[in-house]
Amino acid sequence: MTRPVRRLAVRSIPAAMALALAASAAAAGEPRQGGIIRYGHYQEPPCLYTGWVQAGYIQRQYADNLVARDNDGNIVPWLATSWTVSNDNLTYTFRIKPDVKFTDGTVLDANAILYNFNRWLSDDPAKANRNAKLYVAEYIRQISAPDPLTLKIELSKPYQPLLTVLATYFFGILSPTALEKGQEAICEKPIGSGPFYVDEWKRGQYVVLKRNPDYNSAPATAKHQGPAHVDGIVWKFLKDNTLRYGSLQSGESDAIYDVPAVYWAEAQKNYTIIQDITGGTPTRLQLNTARPPFDDVRVRQAFAHVSDRRKAVEVATHGSIPYNGNGSLSQSSPEHVGALHDSYPYDPAAANRLLDEAGWSARDRNGVRQKDGKPLTVRLLYAGGSLLSADATLVLQILQDQARDVGFEVVLKPIPQADWFAGKGRTVDDYEAQPAYWVASSAEILKISWRPDEGGVINANNASRFQPPELWKLIETADRTFDDAERLKLYQDAQRLIVNNAAVVGLFPLTFTIAAQPKLRDVWISSPVSEPVFHDAWFEE
Amino acid sequence: MTKPADQLSVYPQTLVGDQLLRFLPSADALRTVPATVYAAGVVVAFFLVAAVAPSLLQTHDPFRTDLYATLQSPSLDHFFGTDQSGRDLYSRVVQGTGQSLAIGLGAIGLSIGIALLVGVTAGLAGRRTDAALSRFLDVLLAFPNLFLALLFVAVFGATTTTLIVSVGLGCAPGYARLIRGQFLVVRNSGYVEAARALGHPYGRIVRQHIFPNAMRPLIVMITMGVGQTIVWASSLAFLGLGVAPPSPEWGALLDAGRNYVTVAWWLEVMPGFAIILFALSVTVIGQHLQDRLEGRVNP
Repeated sequence: MTRPVRRLAVRSIPAAMALALAASAAAAGEPRQGGIIRYGHYQEPPCLYTGWVQAGYIQRQYADNLVARDNDGNIVPWLATSWTVSNDNLTYTFRIKPDVKFTDGTVLDANAILYNFNRWLSDDPAKANRNAKLYVAEYIRQISAPDPLTLKIELSKPYQPLLTVLATYFFGILSPTALEKGQEAICEKPIGSGPFYVDEWKRGQYVVLKRNPDYNSAPATAKHQGPAHVDGIVWKFLKDNTLRYGSLQSGESDAIYDVPAVYWAEAQKNYTIIQDITGGTPTRLQLNTARPPFDDVRVRQAFAHVSDRRKAVEVATHGSIPYNGNGSLSQSSPEHVGALHDSYPYDPAAANRLLDEAGWSARDRNGVRQKDGKPLTVRLLYAGGSLLSADATLVLQILQDQARDVGFEVVLKPIPQADWFAGKGRTVDDYEAQPAYWVASSAEILKISWRPDEGGVINANNASRFQPPELWKLIETADRTFDDAERLKLYQDAQRLIVNNAAVVGLFPLTFTIAAQPKLRDVWISSPVSEPVFHDAWFEE
Repeated sequence: MTKPADQLSVYPQTLVGDQLLRFLPSADALRTVPATVYAAGVVVAFFLVAAVAPSLLQTHDPFRTDLYATLQSPSLDHFFGTDQSGRDLYSRVVQGTGQSLAIGLGAIGLSIGIALLVGVTAGLAGRRTDAALSRFLDVLLAFPNLFLALLFVAVFGATTTTLIVSVGLGCAPGYARLIRGQFLVVRNSGYVEAARALGHPYGRIVRQHIFPNAMRPLIVMITMGVGQTIVWASSLAFLGLGVAPPSPEWGALLDAGRNYVTVAWWLEVMPGFAIILFALSVTVIGQHLQDRLEGRVNP
C-alpha cells in the first residue's frame, strides 16, 4: 500500500521544514514575535524532570544539554562550543559557552555542569538519575572543571556512544541552586537555561511555560539564536483522543500531539503534520525466555508467526504509524537491519508445525494446545492507556484472536501506569509477554535492553530474560569500537541474534506526531528521541 | 407511598406466603397488563437468553477479527455493523450481556444486602444506634457514588468482581437510608401500635407486620436498581476502568468505540441502545409491579 506518510516519516529537519514551507511558501518571511502556543499533549509524566520520555518532551523546552545531535546523527555544539577527544578515546575536554545563566540567575559554567554529573551518578537514589547512570556510570573515571569554562570527562574504558547519549534529554543541565532543593521540588518546578521556564504545573491539566527573555544558549541545530519568538506555551494534558483532536478543530489548541488514527487522513488535509519516528527499541513483545512455554525457541518463533502483525498495525493505526517487525531496534535508528522487519511473516502453518515439533500437539476442547497437561497460555501484561494507546491495544486484541487459531490462549492483562513503573505484578513469574518501548537515538539502547544479570542483580529492563554471553559480547564490543563500519556490523549481528531467537516480536515504533494549525510555523522535532522544539516557532498573521 | 395503615392492619400479610402469591397475577389480571409491560418482558427474556446461552442468538464469533472488514456499517450480515478490528458488533453485544447483567444483578444484590443490614438495624434499634448509623450513612452519602467506585477500582484493579463490589458499595448508602426510613414509618404505624396494644410479642410483630410491609417497596426498587447499576458499571468502563479487553461488556464496548464516534456511529449507538433497552424494560416492569402493589391497577 502506498503510504503518503512515508515521505514525512523520516528523521530530518529539511523534510519537516519543506512541508511547513510548502504549506504557505508565499507567506514565508521574518518570524513574528508574540503569542502563546496552546499545545495539547497526550500523557502527563509524574515528574517534570528526566525519567520517562513524557517528561523529556517538556524538559527540551526548559533545559539545555552539553551537546546536540542533528537529525542526521552528527553531534553539534550546544552548551559546549567545541570539544576535543584524546587519541585513546578516554578523555573528552569541552569548552563551555560563556555568559550563560539559568533562569533563576545561577551562573551556568563548567562547575554547574560538574554538579549535575555528580548528582546524576550519585549513590544516593534520591539524587541519582537512573537513565544517566545506566548509560555512563560504568565508564566514568573522573569528571573535573579545570577552569570555569572547561569541563573534562575522563573514562576508564572507551565508550563510543558517549556524545550521543549526552545529547539526550536525561542529560539536560539544571540549576544547581534548584537541584539543592531536592527531588520533589525539582519535579514540580525544574529550572534550566532553556528558551522557556516552567511557571506553573497544574496537575491533571497543564504546564505553563513562559519565554526566557535572556536565552542565549540555543544549540547549533536551532533555526535562530536568542530568545523564543512566542511568549510562552500552555502544555495541556488532553488524554482523550477525541477531545484532543476536537480542541484542534475548534481552535482551542494551536497544535496537538498524536492525531488519533481515525482522523489521520482528515488531519493531513487540514493541518500541518510533522512526524518523527523515534529511535531506540520499538514497541515490541518481549517474550519471557526464562519460563515455559517461551523457554523453547520454537514456541517463541511460532508465536511470532501466528499473527498478521503488519496488517494489524495498519488497521489499528489507519496507516498513521509504520510497522516495525524488527523487534530489536526502531527503523529510525541508523543501525537497524531492515531485512529483519520481514522475519516471521504471518504463517499459521509454520506456527502449527513448530508447536507440534515442540511437543505442544494435544488440544483441549477449546482448541488450546496442551503439553504435559498444561495449557499453552500467554499472560500478556501491558500498560494500557499509558505506554500503549487505545489504538495500540487493538493490535494486541487482533494478535490475541489470531493466536487462538493456532492454539495459543492469550490473556491480556492491563496494568495501571503507576503500578507499571513501580514494577508491580511484573516479576519473572508473572508474565509470558510484555510489550514496551524504550526511546534512544540509536543502537546504544541495546546495552540497556540486553545487559545480562550481574552478581545476582536482575536487569529489569531485559524483560525477555534473554542473555546469551555471545550477545553481550557483540554489544559491549560495538560500544567501544570507533571504526564505523566495524561497529555497524557488530550492532547488526546483535540484532540478528536477538530476532532469530525470537526473544522479541516487533510491532511498531514510538512516533512523535504533531498536527498544527497552518498559521503556527517552524515547529520542529529534534533528534535524539523526537522532542518537539517550540523555540523557533512563531505565529503567522 | 404506603397503603393506609388501617387497611393493611385488617390484612396482615407475610412476605413468603400470601405476599408472593399476590405477585403472580391471575388470568384476569394478565388481561389488564399493558402491552408495554409485555414488550418489556420480551426484551428482558431476550437478554436473559443472551446471558445464559449467547451462542443461541449470535450470528458470528464475537471475538473473531477480520482485518479486511473493519468499521462496516450495519447490514443484513452484520446487524450492528463491525468494529475497528472487524468483529461483529451484534454478536459482541449479545456476548457482553452475561457480564453486564452479572455486574448489574451482583451489584444490586450486594447493595441491597448491605443496605438491609444497616437500614434494618438503624430502623429497628434504639435511638443511639440509629443516630450513629444515620450519621455514618450521611458521611457516605456526602461522597459522590462514582467517587467511591473509582477509588475501589483504582486500588483493587478492574475485574468483574471489583466492578460488582465497587458499584454495590457505591449504591448501598442510598438504599440503606431508604430502608431505614421505611422501617421507621411502619414501626410507628397504627397497626403496629395496635398489635403492641394487643400484647403481641415484639419478635412476632417484626416478623408479621413490620418486615413485610416495610420491604414491599423494596422489590420495586430492586428492579429499577438493576438497570441503574448496569448504567453505572458502563460509566466506569467508559472511563477506562472497566473489565479488560477484549471483553464485550457493554460499557467496555462504549469505551472502545468512543474515539470513532464521528466516523462509526454504530459503535456507540448500538451498545448504548442495548443498555437503554434493558434498563428501560426492567424499569417498566418494576413500575408496573409498584403500581399493582399500591393498588393503582387491579391486581
